[in-house]
Amino acid sequence: MRQADVFGEVFAVELIMAGAVFLAVLAAVLYAVLRRRAGAAAGPSERAERPRLEAAYVAVLAAVAVFLVVYTALANHREHRTGHVGAPAGPPAAPEVVEVDVTAFQWCWTFRHPRPGGAGATSGTCRAEEVPTLVVPTGRPVRVELTSRDVIHSLWVPELRYKMDAFPHHTNSFTLTLDEEGRWLGRCAEFCGYRHYAMHFWLRAVSPGEYERWVAGHQAAAGGAA
Amino acid sequence: MTRHPGFLLVAGWALLNGLLLAVLAIYGESATALACYGIAVGLLALAALAVLASSVRGPREHTRYRLPVRPGSAVLPLAAAAGLAVLAYPYGWWLLPIAAALLGLSLALAAHDRAARPRRSR
Amino acid sequence: MSLTGTADVEPARHRPAPAPGGWLGWLTTTDHKRIGLLTLGTSLLVMLGMGVLALLMRGQLAQPEEHLVGPQVYNQLFTMHGSGMIYLVMTPFALGLGVYLVPLQVGAPVIAMPRATLLGYWLYVLGAAIMLSGFATPQGAHSDGWFSYPPMAARTYTPGVGSDLWIAGVFLATTGVILMAWAVLWTALRKRAEGMTMLRMPVFSWSMAATCLMVIGAFPALLAALALLAAGRVEPAVFDSNLWVIGYQHLFWFYGHPVVYVMFFPYLGAVAEVLAVFSGRRFFGYRGTVFALLVFAALSMSVWGHHMFTTGQATNDYYSLTSILLLVPAGVEYFAMLGTILGGRLVFRTPMLFALAFVPQFLIGGLTGIMVGTPVLDYHAQDSYFVVAHLHYVLFAGSAFGLFAGFYLWFPKATGVLLDERLGRWHFWLLVVGTNLTFFPMFFLGYAGMPRRVVTYLDGDGFGLLNLLSSCGAAVLAAGMTVFVVNLARAALRRAPRAGDDPWRGHTLEWATSSPPPRLNFDAAHPLPPLTSEAPLLDLRRRAADEARGAREGRGAREGRA
Repeated sequence: MRQADVFGEVFAVELIMAGAVFLAVLAAVLYAVLRRRAGAAAGPSERAERPRLEAAYVAVLAAVAVFLVVYTALANHREHRTGHVGAPAGPPAAPEVVEVDVTAFQWCWTFRHPRPGGAGATSGTCRAEEVPTLVVPTGRPVRVELTSRDVIHSLWVPELRYKMDAFPHHTNSFTLTLDEEGRWLGRCAEFCGYRHYAMHFWLRAVSPGEYERWVAGHQAAAGGAA
Repeated sequence: MTRHPGFLLVAGWALLNGLLLAVLAIYGESATALACYGIAVGLLALAALAVLASSVRGPREHTRYRLPVRPGSAVLPLAAAAGLAVLAYPYGWWLLPIAAALLGLSLALAAHDRAARPRRSR
Repeated sequence: MSLTGTADVEPARHRPAPAPGGWLGWLTTTDHKRIGLLTLGTSLLVMLGMGVLALLMRGQLAQPEEHLVGPQVYNQLFTMHGSGMIYLVMTPFALGLGVYLVPLQVGAPVIAMPRATLLGYWLYVLGAAIMLSGFATPQGAHSDGWFSYPPMAARTYTPGVGSDLWIAGVFLATTGVILMAWAVLWTALRKRAEGMTMLRMPVFSWSMAATCLMVIGAFPALLAALALLAAGRVEPAVFDSNLWVIGYQHLFWFYGHPVVYVMFFPYLGAVAEVLAVFSGRRFFGYRGTVFALLVFAALSMSVWGHHMFTTGQATNDYYSLTSILLLVPAGVEYFAMLGTILGGRLVFRTPMLFALAFVPQFLIGGLTGIMVGTPVLDYHAQDSYFVVAHLHYVLFAGSAFGLFAGFYLWFPKATGVLLDERLGRWHFWLLVVGTNLTFFPMFFLGYAGMPRRVVTYLDGDGFGLLNLLSSCGAAVLAAGMTVFVVNLARAALRRAPRAGDDPWRGHTLEWATSSPPPRLNFDAAHPLPPLTSEAPLLDLRRRAADEARGAREGRGAREGRA
């Protein structure tokens, strides 16, 4: 779960920095309130500015900004590296990429598994028990091709710390790799109308062997239905 | 140039935006976004020129203020005309003639206010 | 009486213009103070109404799976709350402050383009009425959120006439705001009194100048976006092309980010004035602040794509770069504000309380802003309650606190009477508790996975406790605002003490004239003082003190010799 790992690391770094800044400012405000109150302070300072101190401070701010820009941009690139379908530079031993086509619509989701295997579509109505499940194998990169049938939606799996918008007449793609088996709730994050609040799905990661069985079963089910 | 500080401010600010636009172009943003920012920078450049023109024409504007001595009665029908004009979008174009009539009324009131020639106060 | 439209006068011997009385006099006024007050009053009324919508929402969300209102109504509530607060409250109030104060602060007798300013006010009022009238239509008001992305906002998916009224109303109100911004900017650039150089303008006037630059540069993009949306509602095929779907987002956010700073700078300026006045000293680091404001404003024009990180169709690296760079000018503002109070002699009147709370509270909004300006964090936070918390810390815990700081500061100037201090304190403390109780839990809700704009959530989601806390906070906010209204009513019923010209020992020119100021701002009884710096009244007081000391010492020396 590269996205969740990168998120966790960067969020921790920024949270610590933000916390430190907040505490420093709060301390300054409290100091002023307690020690510079009219009863306690001698009199207001006459000093209108401190240009040299300010210049040094701006330099520090700029350094922090540059660090954050570079650090977070690298994190972003790390998150989106690898896993491209048929990427020639990929290591030969890399596991085969699983492709999933996701179509969002008012107000539910359709999942297709074109490659490899070619399982049929899973969908639902997102009402009561009809919440569709996206089944993926662990350990293999999952390439998600995301689009919409009507308005803009957004596929969000909070536990994975990642979302991507689904546009009509446009396909977005991203790669997920799940390290462990489990089941996570997915939601629609972009407001899409009446049942936006209930547009959920399940993301289920299973072992590669179980995934193969699932695909085979699904193919059979799709064939039987046809 | 320091005689036109207002122009300097707006132009400098437009320039700063132009710089940011150039960096955006280097990052390879889509034409839509670049056009959007480009038009805005153009608008700001025009604003800077307007300030410069006013500054050159009347560098000491602050010593001769133009004071409105009549209420802005022409403004009310003008605002109503604008309101009807946008309401034509949901409710149909038949509102436009009424808006035009109000616009005419507003212009008439403005002309009436302007009829007496402006004079200097003593 | 002459029918002269305008008359040129010299400020030294200007002739008072006839001040028409009665209702019509107010509604057709060309006096910037009256136009300013009309704007401020109107937006304050709308604020109370939009607050009621928020209370309904918090009521609906207090418990999981509640049925106080259905999705149909809820979607109208959050749409009108958000768009009302942004288009009809925080933005016009900011410009209204500028219309009222900038001519006074730069020593001008009038605002530039008074009729255009008045027209701006009326377009705003009509726009507000048209936008809100959607509630009276059969399908109800617009319901697609304040940014109303197509195709959701196209007629296929949102057929109601309320949406058309929303587009028409926002278009009109925004046009009005642009007119006001031109008038305020032109006043600051071209109507300053003799001797009022650019670098003697008070921080508030500078913040207005930066604000107006953003308005004239960015707000036309909203008009274009609305026109595009209107066209798409007439001809649905427009949004069959992704170009216009994503193009709308670019146009909208090109306006939609700068507007955040339009709703922030004037209140920051107000806070700066309050901190300086109630610290009894000059605002610290004036030049740095002015420069930072302008850089801040320019950068804010280039960050809009950070609202589009998850679209997969924006150059995230660039928008992240510019967004994070904002911390430099923001840091300079904080340096100045902290420097002012750390070297001050603080007096805790109501305006100062709001200004002091603004400093750490807005900081929470700013620091979480860096987080959501970081793409890898925004992929999680975008469109979740984390963003709702962040934006309310910016706009309510920050801007609205600045708004009230300015309101309590300038109320005596505009009305001549003082608001009650005790009620002011109640208002303040209830707002501090209510704000943080309402909005802080939302960070955790968003982090835990609650999307924004959901009418309800399931018991199993585990969002119940935090939402309940947040709804309790909203009730405290409502109590605080009730105290505020009571305080205003008290002043309106003339139960309040007279303020005098300068109740706070102010620094800037508006405190040199009467309360309320005369028609042409300064007159023979209240002439302009010497314009020596950005705080001319402070200079005047110091010079008087120096002279008194000099006289005393001189006398002492003479007596010593004798």
